[in-house]
Amino acid sequence: MQKRSIISTLLLALLLALGSTALLADSHGGADPRAGQVEQAINDAEAAREKAGSVDGEWRDTAKMIESARKALAAGEYDKAMKLAREAHQQGVLGYEQAMSQQELRIPSYLKY
Amino acid sequence: MTRIKSMIGTAAGLTVLLAGTLAQPVAAADGVSAVTEGKVLSEDRKKGNCLACHMMGDGAYPGNIAPPLVAMQSRYPNKEKLRAQIWDATANNPDSPMPPFGKHRIVSDEELDKIVEYVWTL
Amino acid sequence: MKKILLTCAALILTAGFGTATASTPEEDKAAWDRFYQQRFPNVPEEDYNNGVYTIDKVGRENWEAIEEFPPYEPFIDAGREMWETPFANGKGYRDCFPNGPAIAGNYPHWDKETGMVMTLPLAVNNCLEANGEKPLKYKKGPINNILSYIAFESRGQVVNVEIPGDDPRALEAYEEGKKFYFTRRGQLNFSCAHCHLQTVGMVLRTETLGPAKGHPTHFPVYRSKWGTVGTLHRRFTGCNKQVRAKPFKAQGKEYRNLEYFLTHKSNGLELNGPGARK
Repeated sequence: MQKRSIISTLLLALLLALGSTALLADSHGGADPRAGQVEQAINDAEAAREKAGSVDGEWRDTAKMIESARKALAAGEYDKAMKLAREAHQQGVLGYEQAMSQQELRIPSYLKY
Repeated sequence: MTRIKSMIGTAAGLTVLLAGTLAQPVAAADGVSAVTEGKVLSEDRKKGNCLACHMMGDGAYPGNIAPPLVAMQSRYPNKEKLRAQIWDATANNPDSPMPPFGKHRIVSDEELDKIVEYVWTL
Repeated sequence: MKKILLTCAALILTAGFGTATASTPEEDKAAWDRFYQQRFPNVPEEDYNNGVYTIDKVGRENWEAIEEFPPYEPFIDAGREMWETPFANGKGYRDCFPNGPAIAGNYPHWDKETGMVMTLPLAVNNCLEANGEKPLKYKKGPINNILSYIAFESRGQVVNVEIPGDDPRALEAYEEGKKFYFTRRGQLNFSCAHCHLQTVGMVLRTETLGPAKGHPTHFPVYRSKWGTVGTLHRRFTGCNKQVRAKPFKAQGKEYRNLEYFLTHKSNGLELNGPGARK
């Protein structure tokens, strides 16, 4: 009884997994065209992250997002990968802009000299 | 028996998960649910986390760094002005410590709309 | 006419420089002291080395109860053993620090020879490496034992960070630390000053924000959240992560210069490390 139920669970899970892979693959029309776009988006994000880092403006989670995007791309999850890459890209741009806006030291007015 | 139950549970769980990832969520939030969702978002420590600094509604353990969020409709002429303040408070006051929730994408545009709906009711 | 124009130009130039960053370390220190004095008129000057418990009365009671059985004690003992155990070459920490172990009051200081801010953890690792030993990690682990022991032995020494005038690079390092302190960072867009000057003493959820003055006197610190003792630069890392900025390297230039600037603002306070915090 126990063994059989485990086997059935596994089988069911396998079926579902296969089904979902098929669905995913189907919804993205086979293989590559989107993979290239996602890869480009990831490269853009990485460049933006490095640019922010070059002025000490990198944010905490940007590199993690890019890493997750790479993993999602490898797993064929293009939508997820694209979303992560775009968000990381935005973070890189914003972090750079933030650092540039802070180039000059401004002593706050509550400190009385 | 328990095994069968857990098996069904696992299968159901997987199906729900799959359905969740495949179906695009449709955000057809009417006013009431936007306010309710906005309250949840505004209290979420990883989203609005307004309570860290503001007293707000019945939220537990509010901070006192910033003014209590009360009488919002008399403090802001309209929702757009309120939204702009949450989007980037430093636009009005360069010394403001308030994080620019919209500009820095701490919350998404849709999430910000819902937070505005909730805060507007306070 | 030409003269008037020149005078005008000169005036504009001076004004321009005047509003920028021209305050000296002494002027900065005086401005900070004035600020805290006005914000907390009833806090005695010498009490600031108790950090947030200077101003958080309820927290202070809990803290004083913890201090009756200090959680950092085993780390001091382990550090004493490190101090007394010879290296493989037969030498020991004593050979690097002949005035030791009570030496924390000498750090951080400007090291003219290397042209950098010398911190105690850096000096410890320099000593180890000079004797063929493996350097210690700068945030967690055994470095906290030796630092706890040195801090404990140095209790009562008075912070006296100097920015020597005979090496312009020292002032440069100080200025970089100052710039760091007032720079907005991370997705949440906070500078150090937003929490520890501008809104100091206010409550973030349930946590009182502590004054910057007195922050570095009690490191390394046992934090209940960590369940162990950690270094000042580990705490800097945590602060940067909290504002969702990518942290800098422990004992890298950024954090060393920050330590230099920040510790200068505690000049005159007694060292009281290791400390215990929530």
